[in-house]
Amino acid sequence: MLSYILRRIVATLPVMAIVALFVFGLLYIAPGDPAVVIAGDQASPEDVERIRQSLGLDRPFLIQFGSWVWRLMHGDLGTSIFTNLPVSTMIGQRLGPTLSLMMVTLLLTIVVAVPLGVVAAWKAGSFIDRAIMGFAVFGFSLPVFVVGYFLAYVFALQLEWLPVQGYTPLNRGFWPWLQNLILPAIALGCVYIALVARITRAAMLEVLQQDYIRTAKAKGLGQGGILFIHALKNAAVPIVTVIGIGIALLIGGAVVTESVFAIPGLGRLTIDAILRRDYPVIQGIVLLFSFVYVLVNLMIDVTYTLVDPRIRY
Amino acid sequence: MDRRTVLKGLAGASGLALTGGLSAPAIAQGASARTLRFVPQANLANFDPIWGTQYVVRNAAALVWDTLYGVDSSLVPQRQMVESEEVTDDGMTWTFKLRSGLKFHDGEPVLSKDVVASLNRWAARDPMGLMLKAIQQELTAVDDRTFKWVLKQPFPKMLYALAKNNSPCAFIMPERIAQTDPFKQISDYVGSGPMKFLTGEWVPGAKAVFEKFADYAPRQEKASWLAGGKQILVDRVEWVIMPDPATAAAALQNGEIDWWENPIADLVPVLKKNKNINVDIGDPLGNIGSFRMNFLYPPFNDVRARRAVLMAMSQEDYMRALVGDDDSLWKPLPGFFTPGTPLYTEMGGDILKGKRDLDAAKKLLAESGYSGQPVTCLVAQDQPITKAMGDVTADLLKKLGMNVDFVATDWGTVGSRRAQKTPPGQGGWNMFHTWHAGADCINPAPYTAIRANGDKAWFGWPTSAGTEKEVTSWFEAKNFDEEKAAIGRLNKAAMDDVVYAPTGFFLSYTAWRKNVSGVTKGPLPFFWGVSKTA
Repeated sequence: MLSYILRRIVATLPVMAIVALFVFGLLYIAPGDPAVVIAGDQASPEDVERIRQSLGLDRPFLIQFGSWVWRLMHGDLGTSIFTNLPVSTMIGQRLGPTLSLMMVTLLLTIVVAVPLGVVAAWKAGSFIDRAIMGFAVFGFSLPVFVVGYFLAYVFALQLEWLPVQGYTPLNRGFWPWLQNLILPAIALGCVYIALVARITRAAMLEVLQQDYIRTAKAKGLGQGGILFIHALKNAAVPIVTVIGIGIALLIGGAVVTESVFAIPGLGRLTIDAILRRDYPVIQGIVLLFSFVYVLVNLMIDVTYTLVDPRIRY
Repeated sequence: MDRRTVLKGLAGASGLALTGGLSAPAIAQGASARTLRFVPQANLANFDPIWGTQYVVRNAAALVWDTLYGVDSSLVPQRQMVESEEVTDDGMTWTFKLRSGLKFHDGEPVLSKDVVASLNRWAARDPMGLMLKAIQQELTAVDDRTFKWVLKQPFPKMLYALAKNNSPCAFIMPERIAQTDPFKQISDYVGSGPMKFLTGEWVPGAKAVFEKFADYAPRQEKASWLAGGKQILVDRVEWVIMPDPATAAAALQNGEIDWWENPIADLVPVLKKNKNINVDIGDPLGNIGSFRMNFLYPPFNDVRARRAVLMAMSQEDYMRALVGDDDSLWKPLPGFFTPGTPLYTEMGGDILKGKRDLDAAKKLLAESGYSGQPVTCLVAQDQPITKAMGDVTADLLKKLGMNVDFVATDWGTVGSRRAQKTPPGQGGWNMFHTWHAGADCINPAPYTAIRANGDKAWFGWPTSAGTEKEVTSWFEAKNFDEEKAAIGRLNKAAMDDVVYAPTGFFLSYTAWRKNVSGVTKGPLPFFWGVSKTA
């Protein structure tokens, strides 16, 4: 198992290299010029050119790429063109809020979506099933920002229960940390809950038709035991898979959610960097996201062995 | 490895990241009455007011770095760090003496050598600074508190250059910082202004924090814009960056922030209804909307085509698209200078007044030889101002019978593409939209957009000998009457040659909670004199 994990981690290196080359190439040919943004409206073309030279943006593509790769191999993600701060520092500043948001959303999803899916499968065809699946369609259909504004209006502005925006780190207290994340996690989690609930229902429906479930019923096992111990465990592989794949959805959704709730996370950093053409930051974030995505896939594979002992690597 | 090991490992890694293991910005801390929470117009992405000239940087820099002079609300330069100045009769030697007791945030005294280094760095980037540099004989420190600027010819606008609020301002930095190449960014933010910048709490794109500088020695005069006593009445000013206006509006209503610099017009009615919020015009100098036509290529290399567009355009259409039906937020602008300022004039602006004559405009366009070639119109969709104006322009050009190549893009791309001098079909352009802060359009000194010196002019590269002649006349004017006359002629020449098309003058609001007092109108948010109760 350990050697499998190591092999998979090593196998991520060529993937990351291709991603790096692809991102660098795309940014190089994309329109826009950070020197123009820095110089401002009053600057002369000569000023812009001097800034471009000082940033090294006037050098040929291969030299820029080679220099970036060389620094990367030494653990240096580079320095932001705009803030003059190391990219690793900027990512470090933003990692906590995004990770918090994703974890709370993930937890909320598992706690809400899996039981909903199980219940829907158990009561398949009933009003409860239809209601849950109706909610799932609703969750899929509503854009994150609409849910976000609605939640902020009701729970922050009208009821004054929760803050509209911001982020408080966990080391300043559990409740202050959580209260800033509740509304964003619900907004971000809607699509995810809908997705996982539907997959859970489908997987459970298939498992509930199996002979061993009929046997369990015949042996007089309770409904809860059948559903959550025997059936859910056997339906877990597709559920785990979709939860893992959904993390990519979360990364995308975090961009919007962090903007709506003014959370200083990686999503907002990404948008800011793209709009300003802050190339080193964009490259650093994309590399990080691609690494996370590869890692999540690895974790999914490892998790299979935890939920299904028949799977071995 | 079993499942328990894996799960424990995951839990441990998560805990590390969320608690002490990673830096953790605090954005929504419970703020006391001594902390003012402010939402600026944009993200403070860098903090070098000479290297990066964005307004948001200038606004933050005004807290941290002081200036030798500062303009007051009458646009008159007043002494700030300077105690006295002398100029020789020939107007070529200026001697300045600094106030005593000025200190930088690191405790070091402000000396003449710091001023000389700062002015050298500023002069390399600022249009007026470059003019000064071109006629400079020497700039030297005479003693710790005295410095001398010797010129080869008189420069009557010297004090205005040192006092102006247009970016880049002549901020004074310690010599070791000011010696940085003006085209490279500084990373040490020590100034002598009324507040210190807390670098450790800076999260670009999220938060910037300023702390009251206890050793700051404010002037005794009443504060007025960048002049007078900059008395700081709170301990901390926190800038909270909020990219989403709806979130900022909700946060202001909920008391999570105290002051929002630029609420968008759509949300102002909601804020006005809230009994805990004050809403008023923020900057009385407002903004001038504009679109620029490329003088290098047809059809706008012919003045008749440019004039045809001016004849047909309705500034009211542009302004209503920008600010909606709130008539207090806009004015027609048959000229190029900021309404309400001393040099404002409408001379030569008749072409923008009265009923629009589409038929006459079409006829003039035909006379220019326009024969249906595509007109490449760059419109940044991520800027509400340019998007609204771009839509109106596209409609206008179509009504004129022009073939519009509407390039919907983002501001970053416009910024880069507008610098291209290649033909429109080969990466160039015919037209792009932008706007100018009214503070930059009060006279020709900071007004890059009005210059019409061809290749050296701003994007669009207008050529207008008459305009350039009157710019020189203004710089050489010896009194206000001469200045006023020069500006009148300049306005007419620029309008005749259509240096650019002004789409109107518009204002914007600022909003703050009623427990905050001392907010004043001005071209930038002034934090001196602002206090807050619990």
